[in-house]
Parts: sequence; C-alpha cells; structure tokens
Amino acid sequence: MVTKISEELKASLKGVDTQEASYERNGYHLTAEAQPGNMADVAGFFKDRTFYLEDMCCVDYGDYLELVYFFNKYSELCRVKVILKVEAEKPVAPSISHIYRITHWYEREIHEFFGVYFEGHPKLIYLFLHEGIDHYPLRKKRVPVPAEDKALLNSLSPETEEDAFFVNLGPQHPSTHGVLRVIVKMDGEYILSADPVLGYLHRMHEKMAENRSYLQFLPNPARIDYPGALLLNLAHVTTVEKLCGIEVPERAQYVRTITCELNRIASHLLWFGAFPADLGALTPFLYAFDDREQILDILEDITGSRLTYCYFRFGGLYNDVDDVFVDKTKAFVKRMRERFDVYEKLVTGNVIFVNRAKGTGIFKQADTISYGCTGPFVRSTGIPFDMRKAEPYAVYDQIDFQIPTGTVGDNMDRYNVRMTEMEMSLRIIEQAIAKLPSGPYKAEKVPKKLKPPKGDIYNAVESSRGEAGVYVVSDESDTPYRMRWRVPSYSNLMTFPSLAEGTLIADAIATLGSYDIVVPEIDR
Amino acid sequence: MIAQIEQAAAQIAGIVGWETIRIVVGLVGVLVVVLVNALVLTWAERKVSGHIQRRIGPKEVGPFGLLQPIADTIKLLAKELLTPQNVEKPLYLLAPTLIFVPVLVSFIVIPFDSYLQVKDINVGILVILAFSSLSVLSILIAGLGSNNKYSLIGSLRSVAQNIAYEIPLLLSLLAVVLMAGSLSLKDIVEAQKGLWYVVYQPIAFLVFFVASVAETNRTPFDLPEAESELVAGFHTEYSGMRFALFFLAEYTNMFIVSAMITTFFLGGYGGPILPGFVWFFIKTYLLVFVFLWFRWTFPRVRFDQLLNVSWKLLIPLSLLNLLVTGGILKI
Amino acid sequence: MLNLARANSLWPVTFGLACCAIEMMSTSMARWDIARFGAEVFRPSPRQADLMMVTGTVTRKMAPSLVTLYEQMPSPKWVIAFGNCAISGGPFVFDGQYNVVEGVDQLIPVDVYVPGCPPRPEGLLEGLMTLEEKITGTRRFPKPEQKW
Repeated sequence: MVTKISEELKASLKGVDTQEASYERNGYHLTAEAQPGNMADVAGFFKDRTFYLEDMCCVDYGDYLELVYFFNKYSELCRVKVILKVEAEKPVAPSISHIYRITHWYEREIHEFFGVYFEGHPKLIYLFLHEGIDHYPLRKKRVPVPAEDKALLNSLSPETEEDAFFVNLGPQHPSTHGVLRVIVKMDGEYILSADPVLGYLHRMHEKMAENRSYLQFLPNPARIDYPGALLLNLAHVTTVEKLCGIEVPERAQYVRTITCELNRIASHLLWFGAFPADLGALTPFLYAFDDREQILDILEDITGSRLTYCYFRFGGLYNDVDDVFVDKTKAFVKRMRERFDVYEKLVTGNVIFVNRAKGTGIFKQADTISYGCTGPFVRSTGIPFDMRKAEPYAVYDQIDFQIPTGTVGDNMDRYNVRMTEMEMSLRIIEQAIAKLPSGPYKAEKVPKKLKPPKGDIYNAVESSRGEAGVYVVSDESDTPYRMRWRVPSYSNLMTFPSLAEGTLIADAIATLGSYDIVVPEIDR
Repeated sequence: MIAQIEQAAAQIAGIVGWETIRIVVGLVGVLVVVLVNALVLTWAERKVSGHIQRRIGPKEVGPFGLLQPIADTIKLLAKELLTPQNVEKPLYLLAPTLIFVPVLVSFIVIPFDSYLQVKDINVGILVILAFSSLSVLSILIAGLGSNNKYSLIGSLRSVAQNIAYEIPLLLSLLAVVLMAGSLSLKDIVEAQKGLWYVVYQPIAFLVFFVASVAETNRTPFDLPEAESELVAGFHTEYSGMRFALFFLAEYTNMFIVSAMITTFFLGGYGGPILPGFVWFFIKTYLLVFVFLWFRWTFPRVRFDQLLNVSWKLLIPLSLLNLLVTGGILKI
Repeated sequence: MLNLARANSLWPVTFGLACCAIEMMSTSMARWDIARFGAEVFRPSPRQADLMMVTGTVTRKMAPSLVTLYEQMPSPKWVIAFGNCAISGGPFVFDGQYNVVEGVDQLIPVDVYVPGCPPRPEGLLEGLMTLEEKITGTRRFPKPEQKW
C-alpha cells in the first residue's frame, strides 16, 4: 500500500519528493515534500484516493516555516506526511480549503498563530485569539502582527448586515457546553447560517509545551480534555515513549487499558446526561452522574484526583493497582449492565426523545473525508473507524471487541453508537481484568530528564470523542521543539455550520449536543 | 366582639350590599390562595424534582426545607429592580402586572366547594377560558418590550402555541357542556354527582389534559422558555420581583388548569366523607403533581411537532368526540 | 432576617467555563445535592441570579463577556472564584503567556475563593457556607475539628 501510493504520487505529480519513513520510529509511513505550486494537486491526489486530512500544523524552524499535512485512510492505516516549506519573512501558501473543508479552520488557525497567509482562503479572520494580541504567539522569535493583517483578522462584524436577524448563542449560553459562541443568522425559527467563534478558552497548551519539559507537561493533557483526561494523558505518554524507545511492562499496559475504558464510560455518561438536557429533559443527567460517581470513586482510589487525572508516567504508571481496585471494577461492571435497562426506559424508549433525535442532524458518509471527522461521529455514518483497531496501542490488539456503527448518521445513530460503545467498554474491562498479569508496573531505568533523539513523531489514540493525536518535533533538548495536538472535537465541530443550515434552532441545538464537544479541547 | 363585627358588616352591607362584601372578601381570599399556592408549589416542585432525580431537595432551610420558598420570596422582594437600557419601558413594565391580573380573575368562578365560590356566573366557562388566554398577551408584550432576541422568539412561540391549543381546549370542553347542559361551573360539578365525566368522556379528558399542559407552557411543551435554546425565553430580561410575578403566574396557571380539570372531569368538590373543598384540593394537587412529574421526566418537543400534535391530532379527535357526544345525547 | 433569606436562597447563574464546571455540576447532582441549601436554582439568565461562580480559566477574549455578565446581575450579588485558574490563572501562568487573565479578581470583586484544580464538590459547599457566613455573620454548621 505504502509503496503503491509512493509510486503513484511520483508518477502523477512531478516535483514531489517522497521518502519512506520508519513507522515504528515516526508514526507515519511516508514523507512527501510538496511545492507551493503543486500543493493543491497533492491534496487532490489524496482526496481522490479517499484519504482524510488527519491534521495540519505549522512548525517554525527559524529561517523557514514548515507546513505539515497528515493524510490517512479510514479503511486501513496509511499515514502520509506532506510538508510544504514557506519562507519566514513573508510566509504565503496556497489554500486547500476548497478541497478539504476542514482546512478552512486549520488555515485560519495557522494564520493567526504563525502569520502564514493562505492565498485563496475565503475568510481569514480571527478564530481563536482576542483582538488585542500584537504578535504571532507560536513563532519562535517575536513577530509583530502587521497592520493590514490585523485589519484582516478583526474583520468579523455580523451586525453590519441589514435585514438579518442575528442571534449570538454564547459564550454564556446554557447549551453550548462551556464557552463556545455560535453566531446564528436566523429567519424566524429557521437557521440561515451558523458560524462558530472559538477561543474563549484558549489556554496556550501548545505554547506551554515548548516552555516545559516532557515530564512537566504531564498534567496538561488532562486539562485539554477533562471528561476523558486519562485518554489524552495516554496519548502524551505513549508518544514520548515511542519517541524515546521506552518499553512498558505488560501489567502497566493492561491497567492502562482498564482505566482508559473506565474513563471512556465516564465521559460517555457525561454526554448521555447532557444530550437529553439539551432536549429539555434534565433528569437523565442526574442518573448518569450517579453512575459516573461510581467510576470516579474507583479512579480516585488509584489516581488521587476526581477529574483531571495524571496517572500514567513514561514507562508505566504512577502507582500499582491493588485487589480493591479489581473488586470494585468488577462490581461496577455488574452494576452498569443493569443500569442500561433504566436508561432504556428513561430515554431510549421515550417517544418524544426518539422523535426529536431521529432524522435530525444527518451527516452524510460522503462528507466525512472532506471534514476529517473521527470518533463516534464518523462511526455513526457507517464507517467502522476506530484508532483502537486501526492502530492498536496498549493491549487492544489482544482483546476481542467490536466497533458499533450507525447507518444514516443522524442524532439517533450517534446516540446509539455511544450507548453500544459503553457496553463494549464494559466487555473490554472484563477481559482485561481477567487477563491482568502480575509483574512490575513501571519500567526501570527511565531517566528523570528525558532527552529524546532528534526527529518527529505522530501518534494517536482513540479518545471518547475521536482521534486524539500528538505531533512532537524534538531537537534533542528536554523540552519539545514543537508539540501539536490534533483534537477530535475540533474537526467534528467544523461540520456544524453545514448541518445547522436550514434546520430549526431546536434541532441545531440537539445536533450540537450530539457532538459531545469539549470546548477546552477545541480551543487548547 | 363577633357581634360587633357582624353589626359593622350589616351596616356596610346596608350601604353597598351583601354581594359586594362577598366579592371583596372572596378576592382577598383568592389572593391568599394564590400566594400560598405559589409558595407550596415552588417548594413541591423542588422537592418532587429532587426525589425524581434521586436526591432530597431543599432540606436545611426550615424543617424539610419548608421555609425555602419564603426565603426566596424575601430575597426576590429585596432584589434590585433592574430596568435594562434598551427596553420599551411602558411595555416592559406593564407585562408582569398584566400577566397576574387575568389569573386572579379566573379564580372568581372556580367552585372550591358548593358554597365556596366567589361568584357563580352562568357563563363561567367562558370567563375562565377568556381570562386564561389573556395571559398570552402579556407574554407577547414582555417579549416585545424586552428588546431581546431570545425574549422575542420565546414570546412568538408562546403565541403560536396558545392559539393552536386554545381550539382543542374549547372543543373538548364543548362535549362536557353538552352533557351538563350548562355553562356554569357549579352546575357542571352538580351534574357529576353520579359518575365523573372522565368516565363518559375519556377522549375529551385526554385532549383537554394535553392542551392544558401546553397552555401552561410546561414540559414537554415549554418552548417559550426553552432553557437550552432560548436562555430563559420571554422573561430573560426580568429580574427581582417582576420575574417573581411571572413565576407566580406560571404556578397559579398550573393550579387553575388543574382546578379546571378537576371541575370538568373529576367531579369537582364532590366526594364522600371529607368536606368538599378538601376533595377539591386533593384532586387538584394530584393533577399538579402529574404536571411536575411530566416536567422532570420528558424532553421537550420541537416546534413543528408541537403544532402538528394540535392541528393534526387533537383538533380532529376532539371534533369527532364532539360529534359522537352530540349524536348520542340526541338519540 | 433579610440577610438570612438572602443567604438561604443563592441562585447561581449557569456559567461554566472549563474543567471546574464539571465539578460544579457534580455538586448539584445526587451525591452532594446543593439543593439542600436552596442553591440549586441555576438561572440561565444573569438577571435572575444572585451568585456567579467563575468556574475555570478566564481568557482575555472571555473577559469582556464576563464583566458584562456580572454587570447584568442585579445587586446584591456575590462571586465565588472556583478553582486555581479563577483565583490566579493557575497552571496557565508562565513567561510569555498571552491569553489568560491572571485571576478573576482583576476584573470583578470576588467574595470567596475556593482553591483546587479542580476543587472537590465539598470545596464548593464549603465555599457556599463561607459565603453564607459572610452574609449572615453566623455559620450554618460547626467547623470540623482539625485532626492534624
């Protein structure tokens, strides 16, 4: 597959250097260097071959900036890194937002953080940052924002349009799950267009990573995605382990799997409560929290915190689990199985709920590639894509579980996929508990000060919302040269404007609820 | 002492007539009932919701949290009355008062017991329906006057909803009126001495019940104040006591529709052993409990679904019911 | 009397910023049930609320909205700074940071600080007790004995 793509790429596009990379070492199979002139063709090439755009980011190397695109396939793992070098003085790159819709946001993001101007982008305005910012934050040297760029970035002014009824959903609004703002243009009850504004919780995680050592960054992933803290913790830890070549003992891997699945259930439960609340039923929220507390109890016993866990360490765990943990987990699995019946009666069987969820917010399978969606969102359209199967980490390759999929991709499908996923998680926990080996929980001889070899790596895990990936560039120092987080909510939310268009506001709110967005994760 | 009061009353009666005294005393009584009812219902709502949601609800403020609504009321009374800058002042100030008056008037004709009724008007049904549908006007005024987009959408929804549900409400009542042969509420209750109308008219009962849930803007039909969509709907911009008046009106409305259902379908104050008004309150509060129950278990319907239920289901059903009832009575 | 009523009916505005918001929700759920103290009436509109819990990091983009929200609340009103981020910027303060307000007390007056990252629900309840004490002058429950 990899060589085939490489040959095809060379044959169809002249001037593209391709190079095979070591998957074990770098996390991707192939590197290709595009030129500004043929970037659009390269993107088109991958689009034709049903690759989705996994991530797009920018790295500042001082005298030049490097745009990095990751392409991957839903059907099989084939990750291609495409790089595009642009000069540092006046960075200009071609926009591929007409090919991959998701880059519409990625390019805006890179523009405001690095100052790269994208030719052909329809709307290069501030997405994250506040209007008072005077430099490009992620550049290595302090580069002031020029006046013309500033005017361009600040050009958001929906109120100037006459004869239009604008409603600002957020940043303080009961249903935006945090501080997301959506500018909605309305005609009566119908939505003409919806335009999310992000960045109300931008907490500079990527900038922080460049200022801290790998170890010091450990608490941060939990703050990026707080309902699924362990899952992102795992993403960070496994990336660094791969980068430094640290072996993890088997017991630690099993415990990681169990705790991650517990956390996934907790996260899904939070969503299960919040989704009916968006439809007006508050009571399921409390039922879900009741069960969630059971998980938090188990996890609190071993990790020491209730929400923002930081349990995994490079090469293993913070401390070992005991029999109490095993017993409690077994008891929880038993209890949770019974609770599904209650949920079935309370929510799934409710006529009003079904009428509200069925047939609303339909996302077509054909659009998934353009938006690069992952997680339950893409599974609800019928694509069985799950990082746990596609690129097994921890011990998921030794455990038998299925990937639930939907058929039409409406809100009901997303609901069902998540509910089934919880049951699958229970199955995984059961098997992992049964197989839990004894042995050390931590690799020996992991240096306190990690200095990974020079190079870069992309590594992803399946968080409860989709693919959470980390791209790290190391320069042999103990801090990452660049750390980029690819977060699932971000690419999923990108689809919201198209789903909301032409629907009733009540349906749009329900659809927004079905995304399971976490705002700190989007804003980072 | 009592003799003196009686004497004074007789004297005043000589000037203005017994009827006036009766109405004044009745109005005062109604006011007391309204306020106490609102207090009880806020407490009940929080307590019921607590128990439905596996928690205990208010507990620390007074025994069983019984002083909670009183604390709330005092707090709301002492709260700063904000008038936002951009509102239409006359409309904005008028709305909270206006929403409260019709609810009060509706109480006049409700028979709490065979003798406990402020005034038995022979077109009682019309009075109660006319006044209870007036409240939608003040919601509209509140929405327009607030100069807030959420309020506006909320109030427009409210109007559409009320118009849609007023019709099945009336149609289902017509069947009852046909059976009782009177528009007076007291006569209707008296006509149910044998068997309650809920037995004769189950369809009308159901239609009336659904429509009255919609009329009071309660879940699953609480679209005008849909929290997840419209923040707080039409009363988003109201604070302090003005907001409390909206709240009061909502709870009183709930009480009124429950009282109406009790009167029209559940035999009103009729019942064995216990005095009539006790039966009346038992029935009414049971219905109120059902309302609360609905609120805390059902999600909200969508706007088009809401209107569809009314126009495509409830109205044809109640028309059919009316036809059948009329036919049977004629034969 | 008035203060007693106010202290026992603190209606918070529905305003969750970040991670701490989940713990705020937990507090209103079955296990902790903030309703016991009459403070479960989360009002979506600031016009009807008495208490603002700033639960999470306040960014510079959010700051103007937060101040507006505070000004929309009718007095008397109180603010709880919930979590380290709201108190001081928490873990997100470092040299060259460009987006976080280092403490919500730079924007609005704060009555009670609840530290933690995130604080436990018990922390919020204790904060609520402290606020009630501040309003009425007497404490609802006796302070637990210090055992260490």
